[in-house]
Amino acid sequence: MKSWSGAVLAAPATLWLLAAFAAPLGVVVLLSLQPGSDPFVKLALSPSVEQFGAIFADPFYLSVLLKTTLLAVGVCIVTTLLGYPFALWILSLPARWRPAAIAIVLIPLLINVVVRSLGIELLLAPDGLINDALALFGAPAAKHMLYNYGAIGIGLVQVFLPLMVLSLYDVLQATSPRVLEAARCLGASRTMQFFTVQLPLSLPGLRAGLTYVFLMASTTYVSARMLGGKQAWTSGMLVWQDVLENLDAQFASAFALVMTLIAIVASLSIASGVKQLTPWLNGKPGKPWMLPRPVVIAMEAIVPVLARAGFALALLLLLLPLGLVVVQSFNDVPQAAMAGFRHFTLRWYQQLFGDRLYFDSFWVSVSLAAGTSVVTVLLATLAAFAVVRGKFPGKPAVEVFWMLPLALPQIAIGLGMLRLLQTFTAVPAFLGLLAVHVTITLPFCIGLLRASVQQLDRSLEDAAANLGAGPVRRIFWVILPCLAPGLAAAGIVALLLSFEEVTVTSFLTTARMTTLPVRIYAEATYSLEPTVFAISSLLIAMTGICLFLLCRVVPLDRVFSR
Amino acid sequence: MISRRAFGKLVLGAGATAPVWFTRNAISAPKPGDELVVGIWGGIQERIVREYCEKPLVRRFGCKVSFVLGGTPERRARAYAERGRPSFDIIYLNVFESRQAVKDGVTQPPSPAVPQYAHLVDVARLGGYGVAINPITIIYNRKRGRAPITSWKDLWNPEWRGRIAWPAFPAAEGAAALLMSAKIWGGNENDIDVAFRKIRELKPFAAISSSQDELYQMFDTGVCDIAIEFGSLSLKYAETRNADLMIAKPKEGQAAALNVACITAGAPNQKLAEEWINLHLSGPCQLAYAREMYYSPTVDDVPVPAELKPKLVGSVEAAQLVDFDWTSVIHNQRAWTTRFNREIAS
Repeated sequence: MKSWSGAVLAAPATLWLLAAFAAPLGVVVLLSLQPGSDPFVKLALSPSVEQFGAIFADPFYLSVLLKTTLLAVGVCIVTTLLGYPFALWILSLPARWRPAAIAIVLIPLLINVVVRSLGIELLLAPDGLINDALALFGAPAAKHMLYNYGAIGIGLVQVFLPLMVLSLYDVLQATSPRVLEAARCLGASRTMQFFTVQLPLSLPGLRAGLTYVFLMASTTYVSARMLGGKQAWTSGMLVWQDVLENLDAQFASAFALVMTLIAIVASLSIASGVKQLTPWLNGKPGKPWMLPRPVVIAMEAIVPVLARAGFALALLLLLLPLGLVVVQSFNDVPQAAMAGFRHFTLRWYQQLFGDRLYFDSFWVSVSLAAGTSVVTVLLATLAAFAVVRGKFPGKPAVEVFWMLPLALPQIAIGLGMLRLLQTFTAVPAFLGLLAVHVTITLPFCIGLLRASVQQLDRSLEDAAANLGAGPVRRIFWVILPCLAPGLAAAGIVALLLSFEEVTVTSFLTTARMTTLPVRIYAEATYSLEPTVFAISSLLIAMTGICLFLLCRVVPLDRVFSR
Repeated sequence: MISRRAFGKLVLGAGATAPVWFTRNAISAPKPGDELVVGIWGGIQERIVREYCEKPLVRRFGCKVSFVLGGTPERRARAYAERGRPSFDIIYLNVFESRQAVKDGVTQPPSPAVPQYAHLVDVARLGGYGVAINPITIIYNRKRGRAPITSWKDLWNPEWRGRIAWPAFPAAEGAAALLMSAKIWGGNENDIDVAFRKIRELKPFAAISSSQDELYQMFDTGVCDIAIEFGSLSLKYAETRNADLMIAKPKEGQAAALNVACITAGAPNQKLAEEWINLHLSGPCQLAYAREMYYSPTVDDVPVPAELKPKLVGSVEAAQLVDFDWTSVIHNQRAWTTRFNREIAS
């Protein structure tokens, strides 16, 4: 690769993020340095730290930041504990069943976060499924499972578990069977094989999963708002309240920047921790460690039971809310949040098919998600080649910059983008939304494709070159076919993330650009009817069918394996 | 006799002000293909206005109506950010936001350019065009209290302790609850301390409610037995789901709350927007709101069917609703929100 080509390949993603992320971020930084809370503030050139002073001088704000961080750490721990058994279960399946298992992980990603949170509400409600089950055993009802940090945590685990499972499965399946076989031959039990071979080798995947989950969990607000009931406060909820209800963009911007700082510190800590635990990745020998025999015996007795319980819990958490969504779509209740089955009805489907509005929004979502997927994959592929094969000045800084959109709360991106779009009114609404959706999905796809490019067999390209293939032929006949599973994985992830995005979209939505999640969220702000369950059930069915058809072309287990 | 110098000044002044005339917001007649942009809540409200406002408007003018759906906060934040260059023609707000929006130059005050303005009741003529009266009051489970609620002070009756779902501030219900608390305990919009102090006395709350769906689910499941909420929607809930729910009529009065349609300042389609609001204030649309949601008409020329009358607020009762100095509320909103989060919700 020529010396300048790395910079050229890195340029499109960098330029895109400069326009669609750095510029809004700049607006947020400028706003955070303005004093007062006037909604029509004229940006002053002399910076003020008034907003930051207000945050750090106030124990309430500090406690919310601390609680949100602890909540995100808790969500990371639980998704890890549930993600490993689930990823290992997928690995243990025969090849023909793996696509179905991957589909179980992917389908929840397509269901709107409002509907998924409603599913959790129906589970935890005083007359919800858990209390129904408790009543069967004569146990007293637990009436206060909702509207606290525990409920938010369960909701976030359900929302982010798929990301953790996919990150872990990705690296676990890449572990050579021979290594496991060697461990087995040396007398390692199944439990010890996991702790001594699979766990250490999967740490890079765990790092990616933890980073994604922490960053997203620490900035979330839709699930937190619905399941926390305004009694359990998170940082995202405070930013939302200040931006939208109090019209205090200055304070919200400062708070969002503090959140970003915490997210960056957490990401660096995760990276540093994993680096310490994986010295072999930097060419250094790993430190041997020994476990006392009684501990090994205890672990071999306990861990399989815990792993089975963790797997069952993960499966329940992924599927039960979806099951409830389907059941509720046939439930004759006046409002979506009503738990308990009353009577069977097809009324919500009739209402759905008699009203073109949901379908209009569905097509807006599909076109936006498809556009996002195509643009993101294109930019991410070039960026991945730039990182893996290119050398250019400032490469580490550029890589950090590409990951930054994950760290800034999405509502803050929306706030900055809204201000910019009002200045540049000629930008069409679709392009504005596309710019933001690509910004949100790009870090995920660069991460996925970077590993795929790393795995490419350079000898195949050398062989093609020796046989006279020029650069273009090598790209189309060697590189792209080898990269196809990675491209498909990145495309699917971008499509799913864009399709369900509601936080920024609800902020930037215009008259002609009402996406399905925004429509559902809009109804949830007033009174949500079970029609949302009907369309969500149809989406579940459609996704299942699409994934089944996709499996005929590219088996999903291979899509998520490199 | 005008001097040459004065004449020169006049010419210069006319030259300087000419662009204002040329660039002023032209109120032209609607033409086919014009697009009216309406920001409103989703669900049943969207369905009603599509039927009773969009269809006749499109039939008459051949225009297109596009909706931006969402909650009031998103819509209001966007309208403020777009002040002077609105993408909306009409936004629907709650009562206190609508009055401040006019003061802030984001939306226009109501005017007789809308023919139905002449029939608007007084409380619906502030801050925009009030399109539905939906007072806020105490709702409670009649089987869980020893006596009916007759005063806002009954909330402080020890028998309700631990069973109250208090509404979140700064939502409309939360604002009304805070201000009514101030009013009945000797305070007011400018002396709110007493309200915070008295509300703190009610702790622990069964819950802090932030949406109607959530609140009704709490009543369904016995999480709470008393709350402060929109009376009309609660009546619908009582009829369809919970026969034990009572909507109180406190002697101090119910708090005024309205849905307000506001034409944005500089609306691209001024005439269409006025026509839209006139349709919203017309009999068919007002009655549809009354039938579907028990939202009371804000105009005095709509004949309300006898069976609906007991469930709605008439024009005489509307005049008795407790209204507040919303300017003061908006001015203090951030400070009160912060205080509410710390002292009440946490």
